[in-house]
Parts: sequence; structure tokens; C-alpha cells
Amino acid sequence: MNPSDNPIGSIYISHRSIASIASQSALESYGIVGLANKNLASGFTHALTKDPVMGVDVFFDETSVSIDLYLIIEYGTRIKSVADNVSEFVKYQIEKTTGLTVKQVNVHVRGLRISNTD
Amino acid sequence: MINQKTHMEQTLTSQSSSYNTINGQDLKKLVEAALRWLKANQQLVNSLNVFPVPDGDTGTNMLLTMQAAYNEIANSEETNIGKVAKDVAQGALMGARGNSGVILSQIWRGFARVLDNLPEMDAQILSRALSESRNTAYKGVVRPVEGTILTVIKDVSLAVENCVTKSSDLAEILDVAVKTADESVKYTPELLPILKTAGVVDSGGKGLFFLFEGMQRLIQKLPLDEGTIVIKDLSSIKFAETMDVVEDGQDVEVVIDFTPNDKLDLEAFYNDLGKIGTSIQVGEGDGLYRMHIHTEESKQDEPEALIKSMGQISKIYKEDLRDQMKRIEAKKKELDIKQIAPGSIAVVSVSPGPGLSQIFVSQGAAAIVTGGQTMNPSIEEILKSFEDLPTDKVIILPNNKNVILAANSAKALSVKNVAVIPTRNISQGISAILRWNPDGDFDQIVEDMNDSLDEADCGEITTATRSVEINGVEVEEGKIIGLLNGKLVVSGNSVLETCLDLLEKTDMEMRERVTLFYGSNITEEEVSKISEKIAEKYPDHEVEVHNGGQPHYQLIISIE
Repeated sequence: MNPSDNPIGSIYISHRSIASIASQSALESYGIVGLANKNLASGFTHALTKDPVMGVDVFFDETSVSIDLYLIIEYGTRIKSVADNVSEFVKYQIEKTTGLTVKQVNVHVRGLRISNTD
Repeated sequence: MINQKTHMEQTLTSQSSSYNTINGQDLKKLVEAALRWLKANQQLVNSLNVFPVPDGDTGTNMLLTMQAAYNEIANSEETNIGKVAKDVAQGALMGARGNSGVILSQIWRGFARVLDNLPEMDAQILSRALSESRNTAYKGVVRPVEGTILTVIKDVSLAVENCVTKSSDLAEILDVAVKTADESVKYTPELLPILKTAGVVDSGGKGLFFLFEGMQRLIQKLPLDEGTIVIKDLSSIKFAETMDVVEDGQDVEVVIDFTPNDKLDLEAFYNDLGKIGTSIQVGEGDGLYRMHIHTEESKQDEPEALIKSMGQISKIYKEDLRDQMKRIEAKKKELDIKQIAPGSIAVVSVSPGPGLSQIFVSQGAAAIVTGGQTMNPSIEEILKSFEDLPTDKVIILPNNKNVILAANSAKALSVKNVAVIPTRNISQGISAILRWNPDGDFDQIVEDMNDSLDEADCGEITTATRSVEINGVEVEEGKIIGLLNGKLVVSGNSVLETCLDLLEKTDMEMRERVTLFYGSNITEEEVSKISEKIAEKYPDHEVEVHNGGQPHYQLIISIE
């Protein structure tokens, strides 16, 4: 993906770089306690390769980027609010650091972590 | 145990303000005080934003969360503090908005867990409860960011843990909590660089501070409804009111946030500004000042130059007033919605066209959401339309069967007292709004409106988009069809013919008035012809015609 050309050349940002930003931002976001594998098969692959961007999918079209996040949320929080917050924060961080436009952030809640049952 | 209920009244009325235990009713009063004080300082908290993300309005988010929490206990007579705390936590969870709201709900959740079913709380329990608040709040995130509300609750809980070894007086402990929160908030820019860059303290932390301070102010019998520091709400000084006083030549609005180097001499400052422009307003909060002025185009840089000489500028907004005026004029032409009186009953109506919107507004609708057949409004749009209205009594008229669900979802998301009247079409909506009375009894009006649903039939005339046979009516694509209360009943070659056939299908004997709302795809002449024919055929009935401006439907007919 090249978001901009400057007079002396082009800038290319890989899927992986954007996925890293997304995953770091997600983990800083309140209520998110982990990223999850999209499915069991890729879980095995990730276990073998130690992919640092597990739980994030990045898609490009010509002018913008879409993100899919697979998340574990803390039990006892309002999931809707947590999901809203994380998608806003991820969008903001990617747009701020890369200059790309984020078209979509889709949040998939893959599970809840139960620390306390009240 | 008998005088449990009056613990706080005793301390509140007696000279000494010390007490060793509090019960559920005391906690209720404290939560209410915290809520009121946060409300009074909401704008100040909002003004501390650094992230330009929609989570932005931290003060509002925390307030909505606290409001939802308090609503759970507002009518509670419960004296068991554990049960009250549990309800508060539940309310906060359900109403949590934004990051800070979610964290606040976790703080309450941890707090309530320790109080679990205890009749009273003493200093030791308070200390344990706050520690659990801290632990629960920190558990919700993988990488806690310091210099936020998390840091503030941590500092407060540690200070209280330390304090209870020396004192068992809850008022004294609260004083320590407020003092610690204040210091902790002031230190946040040292922990979080982005705050330092923006020249603010953390907004969520500040909100939490106000919650503690509100409780302290209740005990000290200080007023709770007026913020000590007033920053004018920018959105409120930007539009309508100031627009009326724009003088000729004052073309640019300038708003500057700044921190003065020395103590600001307000009088001299106003004098200097007076030479530059008009509509001067200055707000102050925590050493941060906000200046608002209208100036001539040629002088638009002067306020900046003036303020630069006296302090550090953190933000400048400039806006062309002529543009603003034009936009406001255009909006006014569109719809003339009257501001409702605070606390009165507001009606929100979904409307498919400008003419129909105007009709709803003329009957007193406080907000209009555009939508209807083939363009259903989102839950968000419905919610937004009434969240800012200065009342918590809201009635929604969906006016379309496909919108009722969204309206109900908006109701579930709002902390306000919302009723959805399941109006399935425009004529039911209009019959319903006629029962509206801004100062009436909310439940009574809702009941009246629900009763009104059976009192009107709704006819719709439109063009068939495909060939089909339904209810024994055969329709060819391109023909005119008539629907009665949502069911296809007639089809024909012209609007007139179909309209008259449609009326035959209704119980005209029982009805006395026919109102036609014509759409954007039919001319006024055609409609007046139709209304004449109807009047001829039904001489005992009143016939009215309005421009509804709706798309797709040539006519929407209300038969009452």
C-alpha cells in the first residue's frame, strides 16, 4: 500500500506493519484482555510461527484500509461500549501514524475472560 | 440498629461531622451528590480532551454512566449498603459510555463486590472496597496506561489504605481521598506526555475527582449545582444566541484557549479586546482560559497577537460568521423547530418528507428524524435526535413499522425516560401527536397516544414496482396501487380512481375527516382535483390537503 508519493519516491506500508499498530492499540484499549485466533487452524500456524499480529486482519482497497479484530473482552464490562471504544481508538491510531484512511474496523468478540463472577 | 436510617441526617444536622458507619440510604445520598457535582462540572471535564475521537466528551460519558447508576437506586428505600452498591454497579454497567464510563463501571463493580450484602460500611470495609475497585479496574486492560483515571483510583485507594490505620472517621477519610485525587490528577501530565503537550490534565481522572469532591461537598453542606469554575460551553455560545447580536462588519469569530504567564488582569484584558471586536466572552478553568470574540475580517489576527504577548496559546478556532449565518438561515428555512421548555415532554417524530416534518413540528415535535419506507433511520440517528434535548421525558413516534424496532433499541440505550408509541404509519403518528401536551402527566399522555392508534386508518397510494398478486388484488408493474393500513387492497390506472376505490374499502360512516398528504411525485393541481372529487362523494366529511413532500408515495391519506 502506498498512501503517498513524495517528490523523491514512494512510501509503502505493509499489511504487517498496520496489523502491528492495530494489535498494540487494541491491547492498550480498556476492556480488551487479549487477541484471539480467527480459527483453530490458523491457531496452529500461529503457535508455530509466533505471529505478533495474531487476531488482526488487514484489507486494502485503492484508497483505504479495513481492519478485522478478533478480541477477548473482560467479563462484566459493557461489551458494546468496549467494542465501540477499541474500534475508534484503532482507527485513530492507524490514521494518525500512517496517514491512511481507515474505512472499517470490524470487531469480532471471540470470548470473554472471567476474572470475577461477582 | 434502629437509628441506622438517620446516621447521616444526624451528622448532617449536628455540629460535628464525623461518623463511623454509613448505610445504604447514606450511600444513595452520596451517589446523588457525586452525580450532581459532576453534572455541574461536566463542561470543564469535556474541555480537557486531547484525542479527537468520538469518545471525546469524557464529562458527558461519565455523567451518563453515573446517571444510569443513580437511576437504579433513585427510588430505593433499601438500607443495606451492599444491596444499594450492587444496584449502582449494575446501573453503571448498563449505562457505561466511552472508555472512562466503562472504567468507572468497573470501579463500582469492584466496590460493590466487597460490600456484598453488608448492612453497613465502616472505614476498614471502605478501604478494602476501594482496593477492590482499583484491582477490578486494572484487570480490564492488558497494558494499563498511567496518567489516567486508573492512576487516580490507584492513588486514592492506596492513600485510604494508609489512612484507615490512623482514623476510623469516614468524613476524614473522604477528605484524604479528595485531596489525593486532586494531587493525582494534577500529576497526570507528568505520566502521560500527550497530556503535557496539550497542556491539560487527564479528563477521566478529573471526572473521578469531581465524584469524590461531590460527596465531600454534601458532607460540608456546600452547594452542588453550580460549578465553581465556569467555562462556557462552546457549542452553546457558537450558534443561535450570538447570531442575533452579530453586528455589521463583524465577520469572523475567533476562539482562543490559552494559559496566561502571569495572573490575568481581566479588566485590562476586556478593555484591549473591546478595541478589537464585540461579543466578548472569557471563561476560566484550572488556569486555562478561553476567549471568544467577533471581529472584522481585517482584524482577525489581532486577538491572537494580543494573547501571544501575555501567555501560551494552546488552541485557536476561527470561523467565518457569514458562512455560519448562511448555514443557520438555510437550516431555519428547512424547519422551524421550537426549543422545548426544560423538563417538559418531548416528542421525536420520524418523517419521510419535509412537508410532513413541518406538520409534526407545527404540532409540537421537538425533534425530527428523517426516514421512512426504504430509508430507515439508524438507532444512532434516533438516539442522537433526543439525547441533547433538555428533558428526560421523551416520546418517539416511529411512524413506520420498520422503524419501531430501531426506536425501541434507542429507548433501551438511553438513560432517559423514553416511551415508544408503535405508530405504524404517518396518520397514526399525526393522531398520536395531537394528544401531546408538554406539561401533562407522562404516563397519561403515553396511554392516550396508544389509545389513539385505533382511531385512524391510513391509506397509501403509490406506483407498483413489479407485477404481483396479493390478497386477491392483481397488480401490474407501473400501475397505481392503494394500501390500507399497510395491506394492498386496490389497484387502478390513475391516482384519482385508486384513491376513491380505497376510500370505499374503509368504514367511511364511522369517520369524519380525510387528510391528504401529497408527495414529491404528484402535482398540486392533480391533488386538488382529487380532493374535490372526494368532497363531492362524501359531502359530510371534511377534506384537508397538505404538502407532505414524501418520496415514492403520491398520497398518504389519513382517515379519522
